[in-house]
Amino acid sequence: MKLLKTCPILIGIVVVTIALTAASYALEDTTYAEYKDEVDPANLPHFVLVFKGLTDGIYPWSNLGDQYLADAGNMDGADNQNPDGASALGSGDGADATQIVDGESATAGDKTAMIDISGNSISGNSISGNSISGNSVSGNDADRTYEFQPVDEDYFTDALFIGDSRTVGLSEYCEPLDSRATFYAKVSLTIYGVMDKDFIKDGESKTSIAKALSERQFGKIYIMLGLNEIGTGTPESFAEEYGKVIARIRELQPDAIIYIQGIMHVTANKSDHDKYFTNDNINKRNEALSLLADNKTVFYMDMNEAVDDENGNLLKELSFDDVHLKASSYERWYQFLLGHGIVRD
Amino acid sequence: MINFSDLTFIFRFLPVFIVAFYLTPCKYRKVTLLLGSLLFYAVGDLKMFPVLLGAVIINFLFSRALKGGGSKFLLGFAICLDVLMLVEFKLLGQFVDSTLIPIGVSFFTFKMISFQIDNYRGKVSADAGFVDVAAYFTMFPQIVSGPIMRYEDYAKNPFLVRNSADAEENFAQEQTQDQQSETSVDNEGKEKDEILDLDTKEGMDKLENKHEIFSKIFSHIEDGLRFFVLGLGLKVLLADHLAMLWNDIGTIGYESISTPLAWLGAVCYSMQLYFDFWGYSLMAAGIGVMLGFPFITNFDQPYSSKNVSEFYRRWHATLGSWFRDYIYFPMGGSRKGSFRTVLNLLTVWLITGFWHGVTLNFIIWGLSIFVIILCERFILSKCPKFINAIFGRINVLVLIPLTWVVFAISNGNMLLDYFKRLFPFWGEGVSVNQGDFIKNIEIYGIILGFGLVLLIPQVYRFFEKHRKNPVFTIGLLVLFWACIYSLSNAAGNPFMYFKF
Repeated sequence: MKLLKTCPILIGIVVVTIALTAASYALEDTTYAEYKDEVDPANLPHFVLVFKGLTDGIYPWSNLGDQYLADAGNMDGADNQNPDGASALGSGDGADATQIVDGESATAGDKTAMIDISGNSISGNSISGNSISGNSVSGNDADRTYEFQPVDEDYFTDALFIGDSRTVGLSEYCEPLDSRATFYAKVSLTIYGVMDKDFIKDGESKTSIAKALSERQFGKIYIMLGLNEIGTGTPESFAEEYGKVIARIRELQPDAIIYIQGIMHVTANKSDHDKYFTNDNINKRNEALSLLADNKTVFYMDMNEAVDDENGNLLKELSFDDVHLKASSYERWYQFLLGHGIVRD
Repeated sequence: MINFSDLTFIFRFLPVFIVAFYLTPCKYRKVTLLLGSLLFYAVGDLKMFPVLLGAVIINFLFSRALKGGGSKFLLGFAICLDVLMLVEFKLLGQFVDSTLIPIGVSFFTFKMISFQIDNYRGKVSADAGFVDVAAYFTMFPQIVSGPIMRYEDYAKNPFLVRNSADAEENFAQEQTQDQQSETSVDNEGKEKDEILDLDTKEGMDKLENKHEIFSKIFSHIEDGLRFFVLGLGLKVLLADHLAMLWNDIGTIGYESISTPLAWLGAVCYSMQLYFDFWGYSLMAAGIGVMLGFPFITNFDQPYSSKNVSEFYRRWHATLGSWFRDYIYFPMGGSRKGSFRTVLNLLTVWLITGFWHGVTLNFIIWGLSIFVIILCERFILSKCPKFINAIFGRINVLVLIPLTWVVFAISNGNMLLDYFKRLFPFWGEGVSVNQGDFIKNIEIYGIILGFGLVLLIPQVYRFFEKHRKNPVFTIGLLVLFWACIYSLSNAAGNPFMYFKF
């Protein structure tokens, strides 16, 4: 008792540490299983697991009730390891991401079907197309491919940009684009769960891309995502998820031209010293992304040619932190976009 | 692990070390301190570990020859060696390879120089042996970034050697003089013996004495912990988050920030630097207190100063007093006429600039403070009192943040760009978004607000005075776990601080 009076803080710290550590060890294979890989007990106290969970809204007592369910789920989704990892790394929406993955795991086997949707079969023209809306021009052109050509500033009036902090930067420092186009961009956005996160300001409340796209039609949709999730999954699993997102967008926006923008490179300094953020990784993923394009309604473009040095790294004078363009460098990206439009006549 | 705000340090090294330290018999605790500190350094910087060892041994040998006086030439030679070592590694680190600069070299070299001079002046007790000196040089709470404690403060530790609190220890030693085995001075061993002795009055006294020592040790640990937790909070919750704003400003590019954001950036960086270093110093001092050393004040509410001269007596005070005692005063200080005073001040501030870094901006930084102090000393002091008071405050609250901008940006062109945005009549920005100030205030406003509140000196004074109050105790516990929460989420996750 006297000790408690002399050193309450010390005792408080020791007791809480013991309690957290006990919880963390007891639940490491159940509640905290998905964080286990992330924490190396040689370098970090074991209880870090509890705090990692806390960030995602998972408490030590969260899963006690549906323990069995969770176990069954784990067996089910054994090959969903990568997207699961993404939720752990993600930005506080882990729970969301996992749900989506779970939800889609049922249809995941049927990958080709998903990609078909992104093609034309449903939304494109065969069903909604000609017969009903009488969209004769695009109807006849169902199989026509297009090439990039220069466009003018007003091309972007009905354009939507979806992306992470880099696209946020584009909106903030490219006035001609910002004043015309719409931006659904957010720092740390990833392809996992991009459609259903409520981050778009809609008056007082916030809404998701899926909802926003069901309420308003765009002529062009530009996407650049993939840097935040570069540490998780493989180029294939990433592209697969990307494909699903494109399919959903296609469903909601049957007439929009979708531009998949390759992930922008990082500088040599970053690429040479980082485990994950290397241009090699980025190139592999970009290659996988380029296969999602059909050059009819979905196009792949790589803006890196506008910002790279001769070795394929982001020019170092264009960036302060080796990852983002400086405000004054967004002009290069904009010029690239102006030079690479698709015009369906 | 070499960082105090590292989970491995907080939950592994520190508790294990403190237990080991106090389990060691009093007489050998300095050995534990030395070994623990060497381990701490070796884990942090194995490559340059031999440099530290070499410097410790050479300085100890010189101090032997110079004990309480001796050849002035030899003293000069020893100091020159230390200075050359510091300069050499700073240049190597800057121009060859940044891993060639031993961690904390700026701090332990200054400690060594101060020790040589104190030793020469007879301020170091005659019985300071190698372990004492080496433990003082390398002690882990101070080796990375100070504070630059003097040897006389090191010697004040009641739990280390010769002192009143350990009369019991000495007494026990006397009693067991004839026994040569180590267990005779081992606390654990003695306890066993004493249990049998409780019937005798002597035995009871000893037991009471022991309880007193235990409760003294625990109250030291607890009090040290209070400062440690507060420091951790300042660093992790304030400084590290303010650093993100400063980094965001860099990402935009200095040529493209609006003028309000440029000023916000100057304030933000000044606060980041302050809370980072003050927080670190509180943690270091707190660990020192846990081990029985006196609390070393390194930051004493600098932003409440009335002028820049005072600011630098309160900012990084152990460095300031080092310059005062080992450079400024020996050169004559301000007693040899105006010309010599100016020269001495110039010397001090040029060296201060160089000590912080070898790039040009640090020299400019040092010189700009020199100029401000000169103005205060020779112009402002002759003005009417209220003008003096107003301009003194302006210097502290406006000019000091501007000097920190110089301190922060080592690239000359970028520095120029930043000042052009601070003072836009010097030129126009490129692709400036005027909304950037509002955006960042929305994101960082709360943290900046907390920072501003903590600049008020009464806030810390209140904490200092009432820190043992239960409300503060609970507050500190919550603060501690909030920091651990923040650190846990950043730990092992390269994506936490680097979200794009």
